[in-house]
Amino acid sequence: MRNLIAFFQRFRIFLYYLLLQVISLSLYFSYIAYPKGQFLTSSWAVTGTMLSWQNEFTKFIHLDETNEALQRENVRLRKLQLTNFINVSTDLIKVKDTVYKQQYEYIPGSIINSSITRKNNYFTLNIGTTQGVEIGMGVFSDKGIVGVIHMTSKNFSLVKTILTENSNVDVLIQPSGLTGYLKWNGKDPTRGSVLGISQDIKLVKNSTVVTRGGSGIFPKGIPIGKVEKLLPVEGKPVWDVIIKFSEDYRSLQHVYVVKNLLLKEQTKLEEAIPKEEKK
Amino acid sequence: MEIILIPLIRFFGLLLLQVFILNAIEPGMGIYLMAYPLLIAILPFNYKVVTVLSISFLIGFMVDLFSNTFGLHASAAVTMGMARPLLYKYLAPRDGYDVLRQPNVLDMGLRWHLLTFGSLLFIHHIWFFILESFRLDNVAEALIKTLLSGLLSLIICLIIQYLFFKKEKAR
Repeated sequence: MRNLIAFFQRFRIFLYYLLLQVISLSLYFSYIAYPKGQFLTSSWAVTGTMLSWQNEFTKFIHLDETNEALQRENVRLRKLQLTNFINVSTDLIKVKDTVYKQQYEYIPGSIINSSITRKNNYFTLNIGTTQGVEIGMGVFSDKGIVGVIHMTSKNFSLVKTILTENSNVDVLIQPSGLTGYLKWNGKDPTRGSVLGISQDIKLVKNSTVVTRGGSGIFPKGIPIGKVEKLLPVEGKPVWDVIIKFSEDYRSLQHVYVVKNLLLKEQTKLEEAIPKEEKK
Repeated sequence: MEIILIPLIRFFGLLLLQVFILNAIEPGMGIYLMAYPLLIAILPFNYKVVTVLSISFLIGFMVDLFSNTFGLHASAAVTMGMARPLLYKYLAPRDGYDVLRQPNVLDMGLRWHLLTFGSLLFIHHIWFFILESFRLDNVAEALIKTLLSGLLSLIICLIIQYLFFKKEKAR
């Protein structure tokens, strides 16, 4: 017993160091792995408020690009308006449409804190549970997908971007219709890679990569990027498809959060799949 | 009054510089500019190791709150706080440190400062980047990041000290 006390006295500084190290590392690894409570992130109320003050000052830097992006999107949506179309068939009459049911809603928000050169990059948004943001919702911008909500607080939320090690978004390569999943190598914020495509399939350069919409996080067809080149994966008969992201994450400001109104229905149905078949 | 006020101003000044300005600068190649390690290095010589460790943890934790790193900075800062007394002891002058002097570049001279702060910064950075990548096949990459970021951080910290720090009056 006395030896034990002597040991603790001799190494008390080192033990204190170990204690602090264990605290910080356990926080780090538990937060990085899965979404948890609302502490120790910039979505925390105080830091979030301070970061949004910072954003008030710095948002002017990218004002031109932001305006252009919004204008581009307006043009695209305006083209879809019914008043732009003329009715070419004379024998049909228009009826009030109940064939379609709305599946997705979008919540607009802006990024107040971001990083792109870290190994795992997170963005802080200025919208939170008050605006209807929940953990697991998808986030995209007018040019491409951004990520998935990792944590939320009352007025802020944290996005785990696709610039992290295990983002694993389902993707679809068009026009060939192949499916795979998205990975990031941790280095280049303008390029990612798509895995899970067998080598016997021919892929055309510059074919577009979009979301598949399988897991209900993103609607189908949100752009991600373009195929740049194909690299073989060592020891596996699959391609490592290098894609160039269509969004420039360095100057990104305004995003939309996807709210899937039918997600509960889908997950409830998919729970019926036995666990071992799901992988 | 001055004795409390100056460290507080340095503390908040460097912290704000780190989270609002240096965190936003991302020059690419994985370079991360860090000025807050300077705060740990310039704590007075006569502080106990436990105090240094606690302050390091607090500083790292506060940087974590603003940069979505969940404890990575705290871990690196605590490691640096642990290495500091060992290194300072090893590189002490023959008759010990003058209590009236501060461990900054103006008081202790460029050679001593580059040696101690440079090594501390290296320890801090390599701990940070290796934990961040957390894979053995990326050690070379982490090393490159460490060297590039460390060099730039060192230059920034030197500029800060020459611009804003005052030499302790000879008594």
